[in-house]
Amino acid sequence: MFKKTILLAAALGLIFALGAGNAQAARDYISIVGSSTVYPFATVVAEQFGKTTSYKTPKIESTGSGGGLKLFCAGVGVEHPDITNASRAIKSSEKEMCVKNGVKEIVEVKIGYDGIVMANSKKSAPLKLTRRDIFLALAKEVPDPKGGEKLVANPYKTWKDVNPSLPNVKIEVLGPPPTSGTRDAFAELAMEAGAKTFDWIKAMKKTDKKAYKAVCHTVREDGAYIEAGENDNLIVQKLEANPDAFGIFGFSFLDQNTDKIQGSYIEGVQPTFDGIAAGDYPVSRPLFFYVKKAHVDVIPGMKEYLKEFTSEKAWGPDGYLSEKGMIPMPDAERKQYHNAVENLTPLMMK
Amino acid sequence: MSPYSLMILLLCLSSAAYYLGKKKAFAVSADVGGARQLHSRPTYYGALAARWCGIPALILFAGWLGLEDHIITGMVVSELPETLQNLPADRINLLVNDIQNMVTGNIVSREVDDVMRAAADHYRHLQNISSAALAVLVLAVGIGGMLWVRSRIVPSLRARNHVERIIRYLLIFCSTIAIFTTIGIVLSVLYEAIRFFHAVPVTEFLFGLKWSPQMAIRADQVGSSGAFGAIPVFAGTAMISAIAMLVAVPIGLMSAIYMSEYADRRFRDAAKPLMEILAGIPTVVYGFFAALIVAPFIRDAGTTIGLDVSSESALAAGLVMGIMIIPFVSSLSDDIINAVPQALRDGAYGLGATQSETIKQVVLPAALPGIVGGVLLAISRAIGETMIVVMAAGLAANLTANPLATMTTVTVQIVTLLVGDQEFDSPKTLAAFALGLVLFIVTLLLNVIALHVVRKYREQYE
Amino acid sequence: MGLAAILASLAFLSLLFISIIGKGYTAFWQTYVRLDVHLSADQLDRTELETADYPGIVKKTLRSMFPEVKSRGDKRKLYALISSGAAFQIREMVLEDPDLVGKTVSVWVPADDDVDMLVKGHIERDVPEEARRLTDKQLAWVDALTGEGRVEKRFNRTLFTHGDSREPELAGIWGATVGSFLTLAITLLLSFPIGVASAVYLEEFAPKNRWTDLIEVNINNLAAVPSIVFGLLGLAVFLNFFGLPRSAPVVGGLVLTLMTLPTIIIASRAALLAVPPSIREAALGVGASKMQTVFHHVLPLALPGMLTGTIIGMARALGETAPLLMIGMVAFIVDIPGGFTDPSTALPVQIYLWADSPEKAFVERTSAATLVLLAFLIVMNALAVVLRRRFERRW
Repeated sequence: MFKKTILLAAALGLIFALGAGNAQAARDYISIVGSSTVYPFATVVAEQFGKTTSYKTPKIESTGSGGGLKLFCAGVGVEHPDITNASRAIKSSEKEMCVKNGVKEIVEVKIGYDGIVMANSKKSAPLKLTRRDIFLALAKEVPDPKGGEKLVANPYKTWKDVNPSLPNVKIEVLGPPPTSGTRDAFAELAMEAGAKTFDWIKAMKKTDKKAYKAVCHTVREDGAYIEAGENDNLIVQKLEANPDAFGIFGFSFLDQNTDKIQGSYIEGVQPTFDGIAAGDYPVSRPLFFYVKKAHVDVIPGMKEYLKEFTSEKAWGPDGYLSEKGMIPMPDAERKQYHNAVENLTPLMMK
Repeated sequence: MSPYSLMILLLCLSSAAYYLGKKKAFAVSADVGGARQLHSRPTYYGALAARWCGIPALILFAGWLGLEDHIITGMVVSELPETLQNLPADRINLLVNDIQNMVTGNIVSREVDDVMRAAADHYRHLQNISSAALAVLVLAVGIGGMLWVRSRIVPSLRARNHVERIIRYLLIFCSTIAIFTTIGIVLSVLYEAIRFFHAVPVTEFLFGLKWSPQMAIRADQVGSSGAFGAIPVFAGTAMISAIAMLVAVPIGLMSAIYMSEYADRRFRDAAKPLMEILAGIPTVVYGFFAALIVAPFIRDAGTTIGLDVSSESALAAGLVMGIMIIPFVSSLSDDIINAVPQALRDGAYGLGATQSETIKQVVLPAALPGIVGGVLLAISRAIGETMIVVMAAGLAANLTANPLATMTTVTVQIVTLLVGDQEFDSPKTLAAFALGLVLFIVTLLLNVIALHVVRKYREQYE
Repeated sequence: MGLAAILASLAFLSLLFISIIGKGYTAFWQTYVRLDVHLSADQLDRTELETADYPGIVKKTLRSMFPEVKSRGDKRKLYALISSGAAFQIREMVLEDPDLVGKTVSVWVPADDDVDMLVKGHIERDVPEEARRLTDKQLAWVDALTGEGRVEKRFNRTLFTHGDSREPELAGIWGATVGSFLTLAITLLLSFPIGVASAVYLEEFAPKNRWTDLIEVNINNLAAVPSIVFGLLGLAVFLNFFGLPRSAPVVGGLVLTLMTLPTIIIASRAALLAVPPSIREAALGVGASKMQTVFHHVLPLALPGMLTGTIIGMARALGETAPLLMIGMVAFIVDIPGGFTDPSTALPVQIYLWADSPEKAFVERTSAATLVLLAFLIVMNALAVVLRRRFERRW
C-alpha cells in the first residue's frame, strides 16, 4: 500500500535524523576554517599530518578569511573551529568579537608569503611594467595626463597610452573582486606604490589620508578591469582563450601553468620562486593562521599539527609547501614564529 | 541496545501490531456475523493498532535521545572534582569532549589521569543504563499502545475515521513545513539585513542605480565608501533569466508537444530521460562550459560581425542556463499534456480538426495551468541559479539593456560577498543578507501575481 | 519543429558529454613506476616498523637506480619523480607482512603528477626548459625508466577507492561519493514523503481559503530562493539552533530537503491536478471515503508525474554546491565518512574544489569526477524511467 511506503520512509528518515542528533558528541579531529588562498597549503600539511601520525586528518573548510574568522570567534568549545586560516591579519573589530565570545587567547602564526602575479598568455609578449604603469592603467582616477595636480577619470584605453614603451593593446585585466584579500593586497602593494611615485599624491598622505587611500585603492569600473571571481584556474583558461587579456592571481597558479602563461615583469623582476623569496619581486603578501589557545590541550593532535606546520620540512625553503608554490619566510622570521608556536604566545588583545 | 536496532525493533513491533489488530477485528466480528458487521474494513483496525503502537513510542524515543546527552553530561560534570567544576562553561564543554573521546576509544589530547578515567567510566556506565532504560520504556509504550487499541477493538469502533484523522494531521503537518521554512529563511536573513539598513539607507539600496561594493577591508585602509544601489543587480538577474527563458520555453514546449503528441512511444521513452539529464548536470560543469566554450565563441562571433562583445556577456550565461532548465519545461509539460484526456482529442478529431488544430486549440488550453506551473518553476530556478552565473557572468554591475555586456546577478553578489575575505560585520557582507531578503520579497510579489493570473484562466477539463 | 527542438537539446547534451569525456578519460589511468626496493634490516627495526623512515627507503632506492646523481638539487629533482604516496604504500606493505624486511621487493608505485602528465602528453617536450614543470634532466630520467620498462599506465584504482588528497596521483572520489550518497539518502527519505503528503493535502483536502493560498504562494516562492540562502537557513537553524555538527551529511541532507521540497510539491500537485475528476467521482460514487479515493485511486495515477518531479529535484540536489558552502561541507576531508554525522563532502563540492586547485593533473580528475557524477545521474534517471513505465496511464 502506498501510504505504508510513505510512513515507512518517514519513520526511517526520522531514525536517521535522530541517530544523527545522538551521535554528535565527541570530536576527535581538528577543525580548520578560513581563507581559500591558504587552503591549498594548509591541506598539504593536514594530509601529511594525517598520514604520518595516528591522529585523524584535520578537516579544512574553505570559507574565505572573513567567514573563517567569524566562525573562529564565535566561541570556545567543540562546536567551534580550532584554527582559522587568513590571507590577511586579524582586524581589531574581529579581536573584539573574539574577546566578547570568550576567545581570549589566540596565537598568530605567519606561515609564508604568496606572490601576486600579473600574467598573460604566452601567445603574446610579456609586459615589462612598473608599479606606476599599473596604477595608471587600473586606477579609477589618475593624474591628468596634460599635467597639473588634478585627478581625472582614467582616460587610458591601451597600454601604449599609459607608457609609450608598452604595446598598443587594449587594457583588459581580469582580477579578483573587492571582497577578496588578493585584490586588497594588490591594491596596496602595486597600485599604492605606483601612486606614490607622483610626489603630490604622496604629499596627500599627510594632509588628507582618506583621499589619498581612495586615490590609491579605487580600481576603475569602466570595463578595463574585469572582476573575475575567485576561481583562478578559470582566469588562467580565460587568458589562454584571449591573448590580449591579463590576469591577477596567486603565484602557485602561474607556477603550475608555465607552459601557457607568463608573469609580467614588475620593476624589472619576473615573478619566479627565487625572485619572490629574495624579496626582489615587490608584490607579495603574508599568509597567516590563528590558533585558539584554549583548544590546544583538549583537541587531540593540535600540538602535533602545529609542530608539523612549523617544521622545516614543511615551511622551510626546501619544504613541501614551497613545492606547492608558497614562498617561505626568511630564516629569522621563521624562527620567531616557530618560537611563538612553541610557547603559544598569545596575540595582544586590546 | 543501539538506537538503530531499537528503531528497527519498533518497526517490527508496529507491523506485528497491524496483524494483531487485524486478527482481533476478525475475531470480534466472528461473533456478530462476520467481517461485514465491522464499521471499517479489518485492515483499518490493524492500521490503528500499528499507529498507536508506533507513534507514541517514536515521540518518546525522540525526546529521550534529545535530552539524554544533556542529562548524562550534567551528571558526569557534577561528579567531577570541585576544581574542574569551577571552570567556565565552555572549558567544561571541551573537557567533556575529551571524556567522550575517551569513552568512544579515540585518542585523547592529554595525559589520562585518574579523575578523567573515573569520569569516563561513570559516563560509560550512565550511557549503558540510559540505553537500557530507553529500550525498555520504548518497547513498553509500544506494546502498551498496541494492547490498549486491541482491547478497544469492537465491531462498532470507527477505526477508519480514526486512522484517517491521524493521516490528515500528518498531511497538514507536512504542508506547513513550507511555511516554517519561509519563516526560518526570513528570520535568518532579517537580523543581518536590518543591520545593513542601519549602515545604508533602504531607499538608497532599493532605488540606487550604482552597485559597487568597493569598501576598505582593513581598518588601516580607507578606500572609497562604495555604492549599494541594488537596481543594476536586479536588472542583471532579470535580463539573464529572460534570456534563459527565451531559450528554454520554446525548446521545452515544442519538445513536450512533439514527445506527447507526435513521437512514438519508444522515442519518447528514450528522449525524455535523456533530456532530464540536462537538469541534473552539476551547475559547476555548466559554469565551466559557459565560461570557456560558449562565452569565447559568442565573443569571437560578435567580433567577426563587428559587435563589441564582453568576454563575460550576459548572453552566454543566459543561453547555458536556458539549456539547463529545458527539462523543467519539457518534462513537466509533457506529463501534463499527456494527462489531457484522450476524449478531448477524439472529440476534436470527430469535428474534423487536424492534428495541429487539435493541439493548438484543445490540448494546449487544457494543459495550460500545468504548463504555466512548469514555466514558473523554471523561472524560479533561473532566478535562484548560482554557479553558472558566478563563473560566466562576471561581477561588474552594469545597468544596460545590451545582452552582450557584462552583467551580474543577485546570487553572484550574495556568493562573492559571503565568501570574501572582508570582515563579517562590514556592510559588504551584510549586503548579501539584504539582497537575499529583497530577492525573497520580489519573487514573493511575482508569485502572488502569477497565482492570480493562473487562477483566472485555470479550467479543469474532463 | 518539435523534433528539431529535442534534437537541439540532445545535441547540446552530447556536446557537453564529449567535451567532458575528452578531458576526463585519461584520469582513469595513472602512471606507475616499478621500483626494486631493498627493505634492509638496518633501516627497518622490526620493533618500530610503524615509524620507520620509509621516504628514506624510497629515496635510497632512487639513488641506487641513478648513481650518477650527486648534487643536492639534482637529488631533489630525482625524488620529485615519485609520488609521496610511495612511502606510505611501502609502509602498508611492510606492516602487513613484516617478513619482507631484509628482502628486495619489486613494487609499482604511483609516479608524481608531473610525470603522469608527461606520460599522458599534457606536458610538451619541445618547449624551452623553463616553461615546463619538468627539467631536461628529469625528462632524461623518465626516458631511462621508460626504456627499462619500468613505467606503465595502469587503471587508476586510487581514484575510486580513496578520499581527497592534495597530491593529484593520490586523490580519489570515494569519500565524496559516500558523502553524496549519505546526503541524498536523507534528502530522498525526507523530501519524497513530505513533498507528496503536502501536495496531497493541498490539492485534495485543503479548503480553498486564504491560508492555503498563502501556503501555495509560499511554496512557489521557495522554489525561487537562491540555493545559497538555504545554506544560510541551515547555518542558522540546524547548526546554531539545533546544534547539529558542522560538515555532516545529515545537515546537508536536511538543507537539500528543504531546497528540493518546493520542486517536488509543485510537480506532485500538477500531477494530481491532471488526474481526471471522473476517477474521483467514480470512487466516491461507490462509497469510498475521501481518504480512500485519494490514496487508492488518485495517487497511483499521479505517481509518474510525482516521480518525475522527485527525480528532477533529486538530480538538482545531487549537483548542488552553494548551500553546502554555508554548512561547512566545502572542505578538505581525507577520511571516508562512516556515518551521517561524520564530516564529509559531496561530489559536486569535490569537483568545485578540484577545479580550483592549481595542479594541472586535477583538470582531468575534475572531468573524471564529473563523469562519475553523471553516471549516478543516469542511473537515477533510468530508475525513474522504469518506475514511470510501470505506472503511467493515458486516458
